Amino acid sequence: MGTLTSLPVAKVRRAREGMRLRVNSSALTGGIILALILVGAAAAPALYPGDPLDMAASPFIWPGTDPAYPLGTDMLGRDIAAGILHGARVSLLIGLVATLVSIAIGVTFGALAGFYGGRIDWALMRATELVQTIPPFLFALAIVAILQPSVPTIVIAIGLTAWPSLARLVRAEVLRLRNSDFVQASISVGASHRRIILLDILPNTFAPVIVSASILIASAILTESSLAFLGLGDPNVASWGGMVGAGREVLRTDWYVATLPGLAIVAAVLGLNLLGDGLNDLLDVRR
Amino acid sequence: MSAVGLIQRLAPGVRWARRLAQIAFIVIGIATVNFFLLHLAPGDAAEVMAGEAGAATPEFMAALREQFGLDQPLYIQFGKYLGNVLTLNLGYSFRQGLPVSRLILDRLPATALLMAASITFALVAGAALGFLAARRAGHLTDTIISVIALLFYATPVFWIGVVLIVIFSVWLDWLPVGGMATIEAGYQGTAYALDVGRHLVLPAVTLGLFHLAIYTRLTRASMLQIYGQDFVRTAVAKGVAPGRIAVRHVLRNALLPIVTMLGMQLGSILGGAILVETVFSWPGLGRLAFEALFQRDLNLLLGILLASSILVVVVNIAVDLAYGFLDPRVEIS
Amino acid sequence: MISRRSFGSAVALSTLVFAAGLRRPGHASEEPRRGGTLNAIIQPEPVSLTAAVLAAAPTGIVGGNIFDGLVKYDRDLKPQPELATRWEISPDSRTITFHLREGVTWHDGQPFTSADVAWSLENVWKPLNPRNPALFRNIARADTPDSHTVIFHLTEPSIALFSMLNGNGAQILPKHLYEGTNVLTNPYNLKPVGTGPFVFKEWVKGSHILLERNPHYWDVGKPYLDRIVFRVIPDGAARAATLEKGEIHYAPLSPIPLRDAERLAKLPTIKVGTEGYDWLTSWLYLDFNVNSEPFKDTRVRRAVAHAIDKDALIKVVWFGFGKAAVSPIPSSLKAFHNPDVPLYPFDPKRAEALLDEAGLKRGPDGIRFTITHDYLPYGEDYRRTGEFVKAALKRIGIEVTLRGQDTAAFTRRVYGDRDFQLASSWSSTFPDPQIGVTRLYTSEFVGRNIPWSNGSGFRNAETDAIFKAAATEPDPAKRIAAWKRFQVIAQTELPTLPLVELKFFNVYAAKLRNAVTRGDQIFGPLTEAWLDEPAKSQ
Repeated sequence: MGTLTSLPVAKVRRAREGMRLRVNSSALTGGIILALILVGAAAAPALYPGDPLDMAASPFIWPGTDPAYPLGTDMLGRDIAAGILHGARVSLLIGLVATLVSIAIGVTFGALAGFYGGRIDWALMRATELVQTIPPFLFALAIVAILQPSVPTIVIAIGLTAWPSLARLVRAEVLRLRNSDFVQASISVGASHRRIILLDILPNTFAPVIVSASILIASAILTESSLAFLGLGDPNVASWGGMVGAGREVLRTDWYVATLPGLAIVAAVLGLNLLGDGLNDLLDVRR
Repeated sequence: MSAVGLIQRLAPGVRWARRLAQIAFIVIGIATVNFFLLHLAPGDAAEVMAGEAGAATPEFMAALREQFGLDQPLYIQFGKYLGNVLTLNLGYSFRQGLPVSRLILDRLPATALLMAASITFALVAGAALGFLAARRAGHLTDTIISVIALLFYATPVFWIGVVLIVIFSVWLDWLPVGGMATIEAGYQGTAYALDVGRHLVLPAVTLGLFHLAIYTRLTRASMLQIYGQDFVRTAVAKGVAPGRIAVRHVLRNALLPIVTMLGMQLGSILGGAILVETVFSWPGLGRLAFEALFQRDLNLLLGILLASSILVVVVNIAVDLAYGFLDPRVEIS
Repeated sequence: MISRRSFGSAVALSTLVFAAGLRRPGHASEEPRRGGTLNAIIQPEPVSLTAAVLAAAPTGIVGGNIFDGLVKYDRDLKPQPELATRWEISPDSRTITFHLREGVTWHDGQPFTSADVAWSLENVWKPLNPRNPALFRNIARADTPDSHTVIFHLTEPSIALFSMLNGNGAQILPKHLYEGTNVLTNPYNLKPVGTGPFVFKEWVKGSHILLERNPHYWDVGKPYLDRIVFRVIPDGAARAATLEKGEIHYAPLSPIPLRDAERLAKLPTIKVGTEGYDWLTSWLYLDFNVNSEPFKDTRVRRAVAHAIDKDALIKVVWFGFGKAAVSPIPSSLKAFHNPDVPLYPFDPKRAEALLDEAGLKRGPDGIRFTITHDYLPYGEDYRRTGEFVKAALKRIGIEVTLRGQDTAAFTRRVYGDRDFQLASSWSSTFPDPQIGVTRLYTSEFVGRNIPWSNGSGFRNAETDAIFKAAATEPDPAKRIAAWKRFQVIAQTELPTLPLVELKFFNVYAAKLRNAVTRGDQIFGPLTEAWLDEPAKSQ
């Protein structure tokens, strides 16, 4: 028996301990990063009232050279600090709403397919597969090009392309829950399907959905920046992606214009992923 | 012959029939959805061409529309398109003056090369880093690897691309800025392959770095999970060396979810190729699709979408088949 | 006009005007050196290489090296012999006789004759010329008394015709390869056979187009270069990097961001210049939709004109690459340009007074009204122009919502559906305003879904009459007077607000010589260009 307690198992134990530590630290780090971004977003109107797209000063003031513009100004003399704070609102909003759209579609598809099975399951899953075969970024590009770029169309495009993995996740959860005792009990007492799905099943899929959501928000923010890079951003609002897209033209001469909002994207995506990791291990009781 | 044996013999045939039916369904579904979706786009190919010319007359526009078949009602255009697709004909790109299949086949090698190189890079480097992180789970190495992988994941792809060009191409002058080959050099054979290789490094690494993070984390997580399973304990009980366990038993079994992930990531890699091909002037399909979209070259765009969907389905079937080779139960017995 | 996406960053900074490629043969102390491969950028990738069927800029730039014209235009835009060695115009201006160069062959070895010219006129220029087929339809017939003489018989005199006879405006296609085919779909459009200094070799789509020296070129001893590789490089930052590294020697059409042009111009290995675009003469403008509120009212259009500081726009958005435009005919067309038109100097107070007068008072929130502005979707410079306009109008109480879209959607919206209020665009005038300006103001083109035509919806009987009369007026002085009168009406009614006389730029390697030797160089061949090897100059 002595051998069993030798290396690998000890390793697993240590890994688990390490993981728990990491779970806490990653959830904490992610939470702090996100909290800072949220505070910045909330404070934006107070700190920088007025339109962040206004040409406030002369162009290309470098960060740290003018106290009035701590992060400098871009090629049109717009305040980058104001842009990043206001941009946080827009980028987070895009990430959040696009993810809600994905969740709405994904959870509906997954729940109905998993609960009813049979033909409904077959039809919904074939539709999911169909969407899943289209490269999501190309699909999003096409939708934005068709609807013309603006915040709502970008949200729709990202939301419409990101749901299939969620649908599969929810379906798997629902399949598992459907045969559980409490659902069977509800069925035997004649509860309506809607009631069972909404009250018994869906609340139990909450944990994996919330973990996926944090990752989806992060990837929505990245997708928005990629769309803006290809010239498909909303010109009426300051978003991080739009700022990076506009700043890349002067990357070689004034690197900070694209880099500072780029760092904001990195921070947000990092924060959301760390939080997602942490939540995954905290909420996932099965492991 | 037992009934069970019969079913087992029939099973592959049935499975293949189902797979073919799945492909047919995808083809018709994708063709239909995309056809109507893309025809919602404002403006048509004739307007785009006239727009690029910077000038046009009503007569010129009418001549273009007739040539492109845009003067016909949408349902007739759709009927023709579906008929063509079902006879494996992807139609004609009037804008480019070439059949769509020819355009796709011309660009496919470049994209296939880019994808294969970046996936290989992401898989090998990701598995190696993940392996290392799992072996050092809880140590500093583990944390550093995880943070670096996450940073690459969180940084926009196009940004990494431009920065790599500045560093490795402009400053250090080690690698070319873009393109797929040094055209004026007229290399042949091995010299040409080496030249393409040099051009491939930066785009493949850029595209691979994003997915590197995914494979690193996946490898680490599944290795740790497998360490806890019975057959590993058994191996340990039998006194197999730790390094051998890590590679032969654990890593090999951890590859299963990685291969699955590969199939799922394929579409996303194709999408990412649009950005990388743009930054590195790589003459691939992603860029072609992007341009076709803005030029309203809908036959071409539909063809590329269809081809990439079929590719995703085929790769996923291949992944299914790979399961047979990688299934851990085979390993145990 | 030329194609547009490419002009993502058009510029004309005076400090950046260098002598690269400007050295005229007489001044050059060095002997041109034969040989070498010129690496060039072509962006965006052309669709066709035959300008006769598609007048897009990339087509013109590559195809310009493969084809010759009847004439070429010198730096003063005067026609000079090319395939036509001389020509005579009859006293009534209705007959033009061209004497063609002898001994010229197509790249496939067939002789070039007057039949090619007459065939191209009837089958290509008249039915398919997208810029101005009327110019060619005015040629009732072409006689070919012998294989090297072609006589055009005109219905009405046409001075403007002489601005369109180069290898781009009136491209001669080989009759023996095109006769009896559909010109638009002829496969030779993609692998052209011309008479020019370079021969088409290969086109790898998405990668490059390769041209090789024509050893049988009629201008013996030329061209100097052995090969031209046009590489497709979609990303502006990557284009700048290839130029900086010296991988590329020649990049036309404002190929890199303005700020990078400024930076690269300081490097000893690189020169930036704005020559070679004289034949185009391009300008940027705002189209008001005069059929819809609030721009139905001339006072509102004038208010917008007073609200925009053109000099600031040029300085901030265009990095000084441009000149304030005061009328629809740019000042570089000296003969036609009229500076004595109503001017709208930057004066926000005057603008606000005009709006008050029009009954559009500021609301309690300071906003008079809200409009949409569709900016030209050709890249960052045009988007920033839109952002500049938005900020400028905000100051006089007009709230602007910018609408981004792709080109297909933009042209459909502005020229087809007319579902817009304020749009930006740019246009090329060419040496004669009849070619490039008429289409922007004639009532004939309103709402007919013809890209880059009359976007404002302006209809004016007097200007329509001027266009008609000027087209057939044989007396140059009377024509000029008519065009000057047109500018006064256009600037009084102001359906279109001229903003900037644009100048596009080329980026060259310092070792590239004689890249610009003619006024239509952008669409002409690099016959005179040569590469000075750095090893030799040491």
